[in-house]
Amino acid sequence: MNEDTNTAVQVIGLSKNYGDVQALRGVDLSIAAGEYFALLGPSGGGKTTLLRLLGGFIRPSAGQILLHGQDVSEQPPNHRPTSMVFQSFALFPHMTVAQNVGYGLRLRKLPGAEIAERVGAMLDLVGLSDLADRMPHALSGGQQQRVQLGRSLVLETDILLLDEPLAALDAKLRKDMCLELKHLQEQVGITFIHVTHNQEEAMTVADSMAIIADGELIETGTPRALYETPRRRFTADFIGENNIFTGRVSAVNDDGVEVDLGYAKLTLNADGQAVTTGDDVAVSIRSELVELLASGTAAGAAHQIMAATYGEAVYLGLATSHVATLPNGEAILARHISRGEAPDALAAGAAVELAWPRSMMRLHLS
Amino acid sequence: MSPLPLSRLRWQRAAAKALFLSPIVFMVLFFALPLALTVVWSVFERTMFWMKPGFTLFSYENFFFSARLENFLGSMMHSSVSVVVAFLFGFPVAVFIRRRIPQVAQHRVILLFILPFMVSEIIRIFALRPVLQRTGLVNSVLLELGIITEPITAILYTPMGVIIGEVLSFLPFIVFAGFLAMEAVPKYVFEICDDLGARPHRVFIDVILPLAAPGIFAGAVFIFVNGLGVALLPNILGGPGAVNAGLIATQAISALDFPLAMAVNAIMMTTLLGLLYIGHRLFDLTRILTPIN
Amino acid sequence: MGDDYSSVWSYRLKWLYTLLLVATLMLPVFYVIYISFNKNGFGAAEYVFTFEWYGEIFSDLLLLGALGNTMILAAITLVVAVPMGLIAAKFYKATQAKLLTVSLLLSPLFVPADILGSALLVFFKNLNIACATVGEWLGVSWFDTWFDLGYFSALVGLIIYTLPYIFVVILITMGRYPEQQTEAARSCGATAWQAFIQIEFPQIRAGVFSACAFAVILTFNEYTRTSLLKGGYDTITTVLISQMLNEGMSEQSYAMSSLISFIAIAVIGTIILYTLFQSDRLEREARAKAEPVMSS
Repeated sequence: MNEDTNTAVQVIGLSKNYGDVQALRGVDLSIAAGEYFALLGPSGGGKTTLLRLLGGFIRPSAGQILLHGQDVSEQPPNHRPTSMVFQSFALFPHMTVAQNVGYGLRLRKLPGAEIAERVGAMLDLVGLSDLADRMPHALSGGQQQRVQLGRSLVLETDILLLDEPLAALDAKLRKDMCLELKHLQEQVGITFIHVTHNQEEAMTVADSMAIIADGELIETGTPRALYETPRRRFTADFIGENNIFTGRVSAVNDDGVEVDLGYAKLTLNADGQAVTTGDDVAVSIRSELVELLASGTAAGAAHQIMAATYGEAVYLGLATSHVATLPNGEAILARHISRGEAPDALAAGAAVELAWPRSMMRLHLS
Repeated sequence: MSPLPLSRLRWQRAAAKALFLSPIVFMVLFFALPLALTVVWSVFERTMFWMKPGFTLFSYENFFFSARLENFLGSMMHSSVSVVVAFLFGFPVAVFIRRRIPQVAQHRVILLFILPFMVSEIIRIFALRPVLQRTGLVNSVLLELGIITEPITAILYTPMGVIIGEVLSFLPFIVFAGFLAMEAVPKYVFEICDDLGARPHRVFIDVILPLAAPGIFAGAVFIFVNGLGVALLPNILGGPGAVNAGLIATQAISALDFPLAMAVNAIMMTTLLGLLYIGHRLFDLTRILTPIN
Repeated sequence: MGDDYSSVWSYRLKWLYTLLLVATLMLPVFYVIYISFNKNGFGAAEYVFTFEWYGEIFSDLLLLGALGNTMILAAITLVVAVPMGLIAAKFYKATQAKLLTVSLLLSPLFVPADILGSALLVFFKNLNIACATVGEWLGVSWFDTWFDLGYFSALVGLIIYTLPYIFVVILITMGRYPEQQTEAARSCGATAWQAFIQIEFPQIRAGVFSACAFAVILTFNEYTRTSLLKGGYDTITTVLISQMLNEGMSEQSYAMSSLISFIAIAVIGTIILYTLFQSDRLEREARAKAEPVMSS
């Protein structure tokens, strides 16, 4: 048993099956106390299942859940040090905002005066003091989610679970609420575990995060680490916009690893990963690091150069994405900040060279 | 918020499980089991006041090789006619409500049909006597208006009376079933049909019928089976020849011929299950449940 | 309403037809009620208004006893079948075996009264014999009469009859209740029971009350199953029908039929009015929701 009080959540070999479907497979994960942790992944990947297992709304098929060192795997939600914020429709429609926020305190049979005081303070914190007597149906989506936050935070539990709390809001509001959530967490200092399928949302709020897909925990790390140095090919594919090459290791030496793509060879650093010649691997490079050179322009030895055929430019506002075709027929993207200059004069079918820093390539063994 | 001991958790879970299974257990014990056992009892031997275990097909012989079979087949005919008539009168109402009434008001209009359904079935059946009989409401109004000169006697104590009774008793069901069935026909379908310029009868045959078929079928089976099984209908409204399966069974019970009653039950259950099986093969009856899921 | 291009008159005609259909279904009942107030009874040349026949009902001891039995049966059916329907609906929402559950709970609708009644009659008689045999063998007699025809067997018939209606009515109301609210309550520290009573029940109350009304009315109206399973007891409908079958339609039986119909019409009428009122309120709320206060 783990007695480390700095670990808020420890999950060991956690699985959940629905009949033949494995929603979650042997997940091991630990989350430090006071951390803002995001669970990111595609829909149906198992991240909500993991959160609901932590909250006690479903029972694990196998494995253990330790919250602050205590095994709660068999405990119902009301006997866990957690509280949950749902995607939507979770406010009690027959109670006012203040009654919703005070519900948990009334269940604890606290004196009325204390409840009123704590509810008032919480409504101040989430910025809803003016709306205390409103009914939920008279609130906007953003206000409803604040009430939910208040209802959970007022209980002063150690861990707050948030299940896609911003998914029902429009894009602009979601952005603002993201930052607010982050600041709120810094203020109250408890552990937040936030499930989302939105990459930007996860990266905005999280101190560290986990990628979950197909019922498996793919990778954990800080948002920066997962974006810049993903270990798993899935992470590279899922986060940011990466060009991914598949090939076979043709040589391993002190300079690094040489990967043969068939039409070109890449040389890169293995980052301490154990590889041997003949391994099937993937290599990724983020599209914003790929430079488009007109043929004949020189690039340094620190750069990887690759020949390609120009396809088209896609104007995306902030950035312009250039699509080119590799010798094996696959597409490669080069993304540059749009600076208001006239569209590049490159014509479709023109021969171009692409270059990127060797040190920024990442090797993925799986 | 303190954790509960595991033993108490297990006990709570077991108690909750038992509670949630109790309606299922009740229905299996007092509904499915007695009906399944009718097959066993139907082959028992008849004694003076009761029956004794054994194996004999005497009751089935008694049913299939007597006037009872003829009566049974006759009541099937009347029931089928009732189904068709009830469908013709009732289903257009379901289509009308779904198609023309605003969504929020639809349930209120359906509620109108709950009202007659909530008045006791037997009272509604009995109430047809003063309405239909020789000196009854229908005849006196028609005589008064000079439409007929002689009272019509063919509408009570005849198969016609039974059919009128069945239609009036079960019509709300075809409206309910049709209403649920029409849930399977989204409103935009009508807009597409209008857009394509489809004639109303083509819309009905090509679009409404195939989509609403499972619900319509369930409603039709309901009426058909009840037409066969409700003994009071022929008993009160029918003439000497009008006997359905329900009446055969109750008469057998009164005559203390329990194996025969059970044989009739077994035949009825087989008919019902057979119809439902055919319906399921044809239209996938699970589609009916979509609205409640 | 309806299409902007379709004729108003065709719409009105369809409405007229719908109302006429309901009126036709109700006509025999109203005619019986009309006759029940005639001092001279059915078919008389002269109509004289009177309450006389109703007075006779309430002085009939047999009937009063039957009314008592009916009320007891209705009360027990209500207390047993409504919670059962509620539990069944909760079970249905949680279980994986939905098809099996729903077929078992709804199939009594498809089994005609006489068929189910006679099967249960024979079932209980057999249980009785089994109990007596086992009792004799063990030399005890205290469970000999458990399954005698009477209140218990009549109740079983009534519960099986009313459960499908209760189940469907509650399930439809429950369908509008978002399950997250129960989870939210649990995560606020509520036990499963507290979450049900404080959060879910207030929102499905209308459905549960309608289910209660259904249970009572269906029990008051039920004849066939009860008459087969009642043993020595009588209910209003069994007295009424045996009277009608034996003596034909008497003035008193018109009054009694009317009385039973009155109760049903009054209760269901109230529910319909309440529902109309309620759905007006829901509609207003839905409109309010559609135009939320646009600030965060």
